[in-house]
Amino acid sequence: MEAFALRSPADSVPAAEPIPDVARAAAGDVRAFEDLYRTHLPRVHALVRRMTGGREADEITQDVFVRAWQKLGTFRGDASFSTWLHRLAVNVVIERFRTEQARRARMHDGEEIFETLSAPPQTRDIGIDFEAALEKLPDGAREIFVLHDVEGYKHHEIASLLEISPGTSKAQLHRARMMLRRHLT
Amino acid sequence: MADVWTDRLSEYLDDELTPAARAALESHLAACPECAATLSELRAVVERARRLPGRPPAADLWPGIETRLAGPRLARSAGPARDVRPARRFAFTAPQLVAAGLALMVMSGGGTWVLLHGGRATSMPPVAASDPAREPARLVNAGVADQRYDEAIADLQQALESGRSQMDPTTIAVLEANLKAIDAAIEQSQRALAQDQENVYLNNHLADARQRKLALLRRATALAGGKT
Ligand SMILES: [Zn+2]
Repeated sequence: MEAFALRSPADSVPAAEPIPDVARAAAGDVRAFEDLYRTHLPRVHALVRRMTGGREADEITQDVFVRAWQKLGTFRGDASFSTWLHRLAVNVVIERFRTEQARRARMHDGEEIFETLSAPPQTRDIGIDFEAALEKLPDGAREIFVLHDVEGYKHHEIASLLEISPGTSKAQLHRARMMLRRHLT
Repeated sequence: MADVWTDRLSEYLDDELTPAARAALESHLAACPECAATLSELRAVVERARRLPGRPPAADLWPGIETRLAGPRLARSAGPARDVRPARRFAFTAPQLVAAGLALMVMSGGGTWVLLHGGRATSMPPVAASDPAREPARLVNAGVADQRYDEAIADLQQALESGRSQMDPTTIAVLEANLKAIDAAIEQSQRALAQDQENVYLNNHLADARQRKLALLRRATALAGGKT
């Protein structure tokens, strides 16, 4: 069929990727950058909010976009802009919370929360929906769940980002999923 | 209650078990309704995570961002400090190129094209002449040398023009809309590059647009000539 000869990856533009805005913003166009901000804000803010459990999500989101503006000149266009921006956001969040307490230690926090949230259906708080339950997860498990299941990171990537072992990443992911399955409604 | 296999269910779901462990777990699943039920719940969690929607914040964060954009930007590998003054906007709008790409990709059955956006051009758009004065100093990954590129485009344009009568009008309309969008992208990149010649992204963007134009014309020409 002749028409299908035209359907090839060589012709395809990544769908919904506002490439010209990126190009203009990289050249210093603030209005183009504002367009990028408006396009990507819902997903970036949701990412930050889920990663942080809601803490300082607005402020950190602003940091993400300021950083994106500063680094746009280094964006090479070999990944999609949205992927690049999300990775940047993840790094900003992780840096923000890489504070006095070692991340490794945080992996073992919140045992009681797991107990509460993993309770069998008959005793669970029906009012807690999926996002709310996600927010209540211990920091480590929540970050790993968001990175792996929402953002599509691999365990070895998560391990290096969070400075933990891939085994810890797998175990925490499983715990997060086991808890969240009670809040699927 | 949970058994020794429960904690392996996520690994099973993510295809991270060895073949032997996988086979063992599968035979356990066939005999353990609890694990089977837990597995399907875990699968639902993963599905849910993939579909979690974006949600904007309650407040507009832009004013707070915009006031901070005047600071220094990270310099690229070399070159003068970046001018951070807001540049003038280019006339080309973002969705055009995307729409053009989609128009190419989305087709109904039977080889009929679906025209996704307007553009009832009646003549072939002129090929953007390559003006050496406006070419960027360096092309990163251009793939095709300028002169060869111009020749190839001219040849293809001519071949297409002669095969035009045999082409479906809808196909021609889509083709022209796409060519127009690509030409606009090329021109826009060249204008932006005039202000920022070493911008890697812009250079790649231009090279990519030119490649797409070439590929589009090649296929369109084949389509025009190959129609029986
Ligand atoms: Zn079992």
